[in-house]
Amino acid sequence: MLSGIMIFEHKIGFSVQNIANYYLGDAAQFINAKTYSGVLKTILPHIISFALFSMVLLHFLIFTKHRNKTNIKVLIFVMYMSAFVEIFSPMLILFGYEIFTYFKLLSFGLFMGTVFYTLWLLFRSIMNK
Amino acid sequence: MRFTLIKDIKQDKMMKPILSGLLIFILLYLISDIFVKSANFGISIDTLNTTLFGNEDEYIDPITTAVLLEFWHSEIFFSMMILLTLSTIFIRVVNSYKVRLFFLNTLMLAAILSLISLPLAYFLNAFFVHIYLYSFFIWHIAAIYIALHSTFKLYND
Repeated sequence: MLSGIMIFEHKIGFSVQNIANYYLGDAAQFINAKTYSGVLKTILPHIISFALFSMVLLHFLIFTKHRNKTNIKVLIFVMYMSAFVEIFSPMLILFGYEIFTYFKLLSFGLFMGTVFYTLWLLFRSIMNK
Repeated sequence: MRFTLIKDIKQDKMMKPILSGLLIFILLYLISDIFVKSANFGISIDTLNTTLFGNEDEYIDPITTAVLLEFWHSEIFFSMMILLTLSTIFIRVVNSYKVRLFFLNTLMLAAILSLISLPLAYFLNAFFVHIYLYSFFIWHIAAIYIALHSTFKLYND
């Protein structure tokens, strides 16, 4: 998680303008726009990594007292949805929908938030046993 | 992989949405993989031959050994993860022994064949490009079917 946050900060940057510059390019900063095939090539391994990471982390909750609670179902949905938006928003940015720069940033934060929340639930469960 | 131990996966209220999410992402991965291969490697005999062996007429250099090995290395890993996950879920949700036997064997054999034929094509004989191409599509189509069938079976008996 830490390396993911550091890579995001280093390569792209935690601001809407930085995300737009990264994907759409910026002549003043000599940044080239990303191509569809290039973005797709980066997206591909992330699809399966995010999916497996989410599935493995979430399914540990079955061992805890939180199984079958409604807020956990919301957590599952939010984690997968934020992962989906985070992965595919660059394609939409390249298609011209610049509003997805906001979604990229929000979904990254939301995904990280759900992961840390899940980890907190799991560690709390381990400590309380 | 707790879902391998749950008695009835379809009745487990937590595992159903988790596995559904996973299957949807696997489906997206398989479809995206075809587009990525088309753009960066080739999904026809001509484009594959150009990528692997170059094209003198168009001044295209062949792929280097290091790049091919790196590509092959990551393909093995991601194929392994997909095959393991898909087959584990498929076995748990599909009751018919014959259906499981046929599709899983098709999937595994086609995937392994495509992984083996790629370096054989590069290092041994260009004929293996044909085997790579056909086995690549067979395993992707089988995997897409398995993912869709498993998602359907999760919510329907």
